[in-house]
Parts: sequence; C-alpha cells; structure tokens
Amino acid sequence: MKVSTSLRLSALAATSSLALTGCISSGSAGGDGGDGEDAPIKIGISLPLTGDFSEPGKGVQRGYEAWADHVNENGGLLGRQVELTILDDQSNADRVAADYEKLINQDGVDLVFGPFSTRLVVPAAQVAQDYGFLFVEPAGAAEEVFTQGFDNLFYAAPAVADDHYDHLADAIEALPEDERPKTAAYAAMDDPFAMGTAYGLKTRLEEMGVKTVVDEVYPPNTTDFGSIAAKIADSDADVVVGGTQYQDAVNLIVALRQLDYQPEMAAFSTAPTNPEFPEAIGTETEGILSPTGYTPEAPYESNQEFVDYYTETHGTPPAEDEANAWTTGQVVAAAVEAVGCADPDAECQQQLIDWLRENEVETVVGPLTWDEAGRPQGAHLIQQYVDGKIRIVLPEDAAEADLILDKPEW
Amino acid sequence: MSLLLQSLVLGVLLGGLYALLAAGLTLYFGVMRVVMIAHSAFLILAAYLAWFFTRTTGLDPMISLLLTVPLFFGIGVVMQRLLISRLRPATLTMMSVLLTFSIALTIEGLLGFAFTGTQRRIRLPYGGANFEILGANVAVVKLIAFLLAAVSLGALFLLLKKTQFGQALRATIQHPEAARLVGINTDRVAGYGFGLGLATAAIGGTALALDSTIYPSLHWHWIGPLMAIIVVGGLGSIPGAAIAAMVLGLGQSLLQIPLGTTWAQTFFYIALFATLMLRPQGFFGGRLAQRF
Amino acid sequence: MRSASKALGLLAAVAFVVAFPRMAPDAFILSVGVVIMSYAVLATSWNFVGGFTGYISLGHAAYSGLGAYATGLLVIETGMNPWLAMLAGGLLVAAFAVPVGIASLRVRGASFVIVSIALVLILLLVFQSWGSFTGGSNGLRVPRPFGTDVLRPEQHERFFYLHAVLLAVALLTWWLIDRSRFGTGLKAIREDEDKAQSLGVPTFQYKLVAFVVSAFFTALGGGMYALWFGFLDPIFQFSILVGSYMVLMSLLGGIRSLFGPVLGAVIVGYAVEYFKAQYGDTQFHLVAMGLLLALVVLFMPDGIIPAASSLLNRFRPQAASIREVTAAELAEQRRSAADAEEREPVTEGARR
Repeated sequence: MKVSTSLRLSALAATSSLALTGCISSGSAGGDGGDGEDAPIKIGISLPLTGDFSEPGKGVQRGYEAWADHVNENGGLLGRQVELTILDDQSNADRVAADYEKLINQDGVDLVFGPFSTRLVVPAAQVAQDYGFLFVEPAGAAEEVFTQGFDNLFYAAPAVADDHYDHLADAIEALPEDERPKTAAYAAMDDPFAMGTAYGLKTRLEEMGVKTVVDEVYPPNTTDFGSIAAKIADSDADVVVGGTQYQDAVNLIVALRQLDYQPEMAAFSTAPTNPEFPEAIGTETEGILSPTGYTPEAPYESNQEFVDYYTETHGTPPAEDEANAWTTGQVVAAAVEAVGCADPDAECQQQLIDWLRENEVETVVGPLTWDEAGRPQGAHLIQQYVDGKIRIVLPEDAAEADLILDKPEW
Repeated sequence: MSLLLQSLVLGVLLGGLYALLAAGLTLYFGVMRVVMIAHSAFLILAAYLAWFFTRTTGLDPMISLLLTVPLFFGIGVVMQRLLISRLRPATLTMMSVLLTFSIALTIEGLLGFAFTGTQRRIRLPYGGANFEILGANVAVVKLIAFLLAAVSLGALFLLLKKTQFGQALRATIQHPEAARLVGINTDRVAGYGFGLGLATAAIGGTALALDSTIYPSLHWHWIGPLMAIIVVGGLGSIPGAAIAAMVLGLGQSLLQIPLGTTWAQTFFYIALFATLMLRPQGFFGGRLAQRF
Repeated sequence: MRSASKALGLLAAVAFVVAFPRMAPDAFILSVGVVIMSYAVLATSWNFVGGFTGYISLGHAAYSGLGAYATGLLVIETGMNPWLAMLAGGLLVAAFAVPVGIASLRVRGASFVIVSIALVLILLLVFQSWGSFTGGSNGLRVPRPFGTDVLRPEQHERFFYLHAVLLAVALLTWWLIDRSRFGTGLKAIREDEDKAQSLGVPTFQYKLVAFVVSAFFTALGGGMYALWFGFLDPIFQFSILVGSYMVLMSLLGGIRSLFGPVLGAVIVGYAVEYFKAQYGDTQFHLVAMGLLLALVVLFMPDGIIPAASSLLNRFRPQAASIREVTAAELAEQRRSAADAEEREPVTEGARR
C-alpha cells in the first residue's frame, strides 16, 4: 500500500512537473517574438552577478549595457535596435552552460556574448560551439582557453594572460646586465588567469638569468598571507611578482609590509588598476606596477567616445571590465555590419566567425586581430603608481610618466 | 632560521584564534551533542558586523564587540530554545547538523544579499604596523587579534572553573542525568552554553575582521579546520580543543615552509583521519567522545 | 488491487520518463531534464547510506566528484571506452570508500558527518593543487562519448535515457536490499544501533557495505554527468553545496521510501530553476535552500511521501489494512521509547 501511494505520488509529481516546465518556458518573454526586419537583435549573455566572481561580473554587465544603450541611441545595428538578455550564472560552471542553453534554445537570441572569468568561459564556449554560435568573450585570457580546439572563440582584449607583462620584461631586458634585478619572488593565485600573468613574466625573467627564489601558489580562498609573506621576506628577493586578482593582492601587500619587506620592484596583476586599490592600501602605493589592457586615456578614436559616454551616464570613467565588455560589443558589431546578418542560423554565424578570422577591428583598446585559436595579437600596457596616481609607463611611445626602477619603501 | 622563527610566531598567533573558535564549537557539542556547522557562518556574520560598524561610524571595529557579543549570546540562547530543543533526541546529532547547516546557508545567502559578494576588508590606520622581537616581525593587528582571543579564552575558562554557573555547565556536559538529579535546570544551562558558544564566534569574527578579507562564502574555509580541531582534541573537551588548535595552527604554519600554502592546509584533514584511525575518541577527550 | 495500482503507478512513471524527451518543447528543457535525472541518481545513491542507516553524509560530492574525475582521467589517459571507464571509475571510488568508511563509521554520527565534510574539502585542495594530473584550476575537459555528428539536443536525449537506466538500476538495487535480511539489519541500525548490536547484527560491517555501495552508485552518477557535461572544475565538483543538495532532496522526498529521493530531486531540480528565474540576480537561492532544509528538518523529518501517504490513509481508512496501522504505531512507540531513553547511552558508557 505504502509503495503504491508513493508511486502514485511520484507519477503525480512527474505529470505536474511537465505542466511546470511550461511555467519555466513562459517565464521568458516570448521565444519567437517575430524575426522581421525591424525586430530588435537579441543578444544573450550570462554573467556572474552573484557569488565569487560577482564584482567583475557586474563591471562587465555595466559595460555591456552601456554599449547597448550607446548603439541604440546611434541608430542600432543594421538599423535594428539591440536588446540584451542577461542571466545570472551564480559564478557556477553548471549554471553558465545551462544559461547559454536557455538563451539559445528558449529565448531565441540572435547573438551571444561571453561571460566573465576563465573558469566559466570554457563550459560556455562549448555550448556556443555546439550550436554553431560565434563566441566573443571579454574575460578568459588564460592560455588554456585557446588550446581547447574552439573554432568559434575570440578574446576581445589586447593580449592573453601570459603576455601581459611583455613590455615590462622588455624594459628589464634593455637594462645593462649589472642593473637588472638578480632575484625574484612569485606568488600566484591558483587560477588560470592570475597564474598565467605571473608565470609569463617568470619565464621571461628566468631567460634573462633572474633567479627565482620563491614560487608560491595559493588557493583562491586564501585569506591569511602571513606565511607566504614570511617566505618572500625571508628570501629578500629584488622583485616581487603577484599573480593576483584583487583582494589577495591587498592582503599580500599588507602582509609584506607587516614583515617590513622592501623590494626594488613590485608588480601585481589586476588589483592596482582597481580604483579602490589606493583606498585599501593607503599612501604606500608608490612604485607598484601593473599590466592593464585598458586605460581611459588611451588615444584610440572610439575610446574617447566610450569614455565620454560612460562618464556621462555613470559619473565615473570606465574601468577594465567595462572596457572589455564594450570591446566585445564593438567586435561583434563590426562583424555584423560587415557581413550584414545577425541571426542564429549556422550559416550567418559561420560568416561572422570567418570575417573575424580575416579582419582587424578598431576598438577602445586599439586595433585587434586574432590568430586561428582566437588569441589576440597585442600586448598590455604597463602602469605604475607615480606621485600617487596610476600612470602608463610602458611602452615608451604611450608613456605618461617615466618608469621608476627603484621602488620607494611601502 | 628567521623564517622558522617567523613562522612560529605566525603559527602561535593563528593558533590562538583557532583555539577560541574551537572552544565555542566544543561548548555546543558538550551541552547539546550538537555539531554546529553554522559556527563559522556566525563568525563571518560577526566579522561583517564589525566591518559594517567601522564603515558607518568610523570607530574602531573592536567597539562593535559591545553590541555583537550580547547580541550573539541572545541569538544562541534563542536558537537553542526554539530550534535545537525541538528536534527528536533520538536523531538529534544528525538532524542538528542539518539544521545548523541550513542556518549557515541562510546566513551566507543573507550576507550576499545585504553586502554582495564583494570581498571586504577593514582599513585600519595601524594595519601594516609591526615591531620586531628576536628577528621576527609581529604585526600589531595580529597581536591584537591574538590577545583578544587569549583574554576571551581565559575568561571562559575562569567562568567554567570558578563560578556556580560554570559548575552547572560542566555538570551538564559530563552527566546531564545526574545534573538534573541535583537540581540543575539543564535546559536553561544548555541554552546559556549555546549562547556562550555563539559569543565566542562574535569575538572571533571581530578578531578575524581586523586582519583579513571577508566574503560571504568564507565560512566554508573555516569550518573544515575547526571541525578537524575538535575531533583531534576530543569532542566535548575544551582544553583538548584549545591544545589541538594550537598544535594544528603551529603545524600548518610550519608546514607551509616546505610544502606551500595549499598542501599545508591538508594537514588539518590528515590529522583528522589519523586521529579517527588511531584514537577515535580524540587525543584529549574523555569517555564522552567515545560514543560520538 | 494493491499490486495492480502499484504496477499502474510504475507504468505511468516509466511512460513519462520514456516520453519526456519527445514532449520537451526545446533543448533547454531537455537539458534541465538531464540535470534532474542526474540529481535523482545522486540522491538515490546517497540514500543507500542515509536512508538505510540514518547516517547523514554532507560530503557525497566527494564520491560524485571522484567518479567524474576518475571517468574523465581514465578516458583521457588510457583511451578506454568511456562506459567502461565510468564503471571502472565507480569501482575505484568504491575501493577508496572502504578505508574512509572504516575511519568514519567506527564512531557514531558526529564524527561521520565531520569526516564527510572534511573529505570534500581535502579533495578540493588536492584536485586544485595536483594540476599536472587533474588539470587543477584549469579544469579538465572530458571527451564526448558520442561523435561530433550527434548534435547537442540529441546528446541531451541520449544522456537523459542513460541516466534513467542508471537510476532504474540504483532503484532496483535499493529495493532488493530493502527486502533482504541485510536491509532489515541496516534499518535496525537506523532505529537503534545499540539494540541492533546486542541482537547480533554486525553493525560495523553492515554500515560499511551500505556506505561502499552508496559511494559506488554516487561515483557512477558523477561519471555519467562528467561524460554529459564534458568539463570538470574542482571548485564545482568538490562543493559542499552539491552534497547538501543530495541530502535535501532525499530528506524532502523521504529517506525511508524507495522513490522519496527521486521525488525530492524532481521538486528541488524544478525549484532551483524556478528560483533562478524569479530571483536570479540575488543570493536568494541560498536562503531559499537554507530555509527549505530547516523547514523539512523541523517539521517534516520523514519527508513528503510518508507525510502524504498518512494523509491519504486518513481519508481512506478502509483501504489500509490493520497491520499497516499497527506497524506505523509501533514505529511511533519505538520512537517515543527512544526519546525516553535519550540520555541512557551516556550513562551506560559511564558504567562500562
């Protein structure tokens, strides 16, 4: 008796769940709202709006929305308005795949843009590839993204993670041999992007004969940097390189200061370009180096327009995440305008992909081209805190200030 | 050599905080046989309250203790009386795990709701200050956190040893039946014990917020090591938990030199498995631990 | 009458599962169906230990994650047939579960729970750090078992049926154990471990076997998911949340019933999508799960199926045989007896 009741219940649940699937579907505003000439171009995006990657995720969201508004105010794409559908993937790989599945199959989007974070790009790109969609992504710079055999993927930023420090490495190489640093300490978060940046520089420095004295990798959730700092301080390395995201860099710097360690050169990825960084570190930022793919001061034509528009609507100039999102929009828009189509069928998407393979796109981070795996062929600018402000110091033709080689005490 | 000394200092400072928090966990287990998964979620909650307090008032985060300690004590008593005591005694241990787990999830969700997932850190004017002893640098904030933990642990110890309430509490832990027979209101004592445990989370959270980044899902990072500590120390034994916390904190700090950060973290869990294989009642636990 | 309605219910459920891919309006709904099937497999596998012995493991993500990685790595490193790799992965994980079970089942509940959580955390650390073997934080891409000519919606369909078959095997195994002498012994442990022991049930061995069987099926579920999803990242595989979903689903449906975990999986799987659609941009899904779990623990610890069947029985008193009612009453008496003796074990321990 008991079993039969439970069976009947499960059958009931099964039937009602079928009815409920209808509810999940109807949640989205009309799958096929008409694909006429004037219907808006629907663009599907999944972003980490909650969870561990939510902070940069929200930056990317602001960038995408600003781009869409800007396009719509200026006549749209192919004369059609663009409409963004942004879902929250909760910083979760299972969710990000489900989100793109939903966007493509249920919401019937015409184009997709990429999510944030290397860890989410690979599962998302897989879905896009399976449905033949072009996949331009604003974050996902790690080498591993480009070695998975995706033929639909393009990274909308100047350089992959391993090349972020190229200009700095060049500058050090240009020094007379006896002025180069002798030893270097590396601490990197166990994250493909953060590690990529630090190890890219490590490879270059080791080639020059700079000895690696500390090489630490810490899990992303690390909050206590005392022991890592102790190791670095004990080695008294000339250079300290942090493959960092944001808060870990702040923690590491505070921990290093607590141990009174004074390097000649200190470079950290991502964090120093964050506007909150000087607030968190205080006045001791002087001389800290960081690679950046974007600066509001960049001389490129469309950048001025972007900075003005963004500053007007948001009150602050855009940061790197916003710029990468805007760049993604620019890249896809360029392909759409050139090919003259924006619909989900495989033929159109393939034309978009083929066009990007062959052509250069002018963006807010400069002209971009890609190799066959989607790696952009540029390098990052190097910024440094000079007189309390973050300025471009490398390469020399873009420099706003001179590179300080002997870092003041922090 | 100086690295070894430095790691030793860092290990002791870390161990102090672990000891305070593990003492709280042990209290819950002692009075109620409850494995309190939400302990570290409350820890993070207190850290957030300290951060929020400093951000809105500009005062030192330690002043927030005046608010959070009584608040957490109250929450602890209410939680024990309204939630934990509702569970069937026969399945108490298992169901309390789930109940406190669900509380932890709710706290994490609400923190994310209120303060977003952004990592936060209190900026203190003395954040980078340090002084040197025997070639090792001691950070002022870490020392404050340690002293806070040490003083609270000392006060807890005195409370348990010297006061009448402490005696009642220890009697409830050791032998609830007998405690009831001699007229101790074990229900009320259990409630207060729970409140005390949660108060340690308030203090620990504030100490943590002084020198660390906080984010809503951080509590998972703490619950594992704390659980390992109370098993190694012997479930229900407060001195055992404190000693295990010190030993494991030091061990982790020293092992980071040869092994690196990630592998050193596994030390807690290896100690946990080794303890269960060799001495399931823990190294300092009494007969109480044998049955759980 | 009884067997007829039983067969009818089973038939309806099977018919629904067979027809679902045809009825699903689009590939997204189909993929949700695969996820729910996968939940059902994992929750049913969890219930081998949770339901029979009453030991609540919050860390079954350890076994699903290990199964997923074992499958993926076997396929990549040895080029083995993916289905064989999945089976081999399940066996490897089962072997791994033996020492873990020995360590955690020697003592009663509290340590078992602590070990289950610790295991997930330690595996997360190991799989993150041991990058050269596991792919570390870069993740591990698992090759698809079907060629590229099988389009994604068809992949979903095939994996839906494959998961359904695995679920059927797990359910059948559960049912067989439930009716066996072994199952009776396990249930005795759940109700009162001390009494079971004194009646001569080899409690430790029984618990260990149930635990290993559970780990085996969980690993198969993880392996099949890996083959479908194609990408493994340690932070998502070894996540306490994944393990706690299994607990929530089983508990919600009812851990004492064969179909309880399946029902729980359908409800939770649907609720996850619903909450996501309604409260997507907030952390509310955590709060919702937390509150739901708390409500179940406090007010419905036996789950929906027992609660609903007792409700149904109340409306149809004549349908229930006298014996059934007595059995339920007996269970209640047993429970209140256990309540009365709650502190006794401690006293006994002191006497020894």
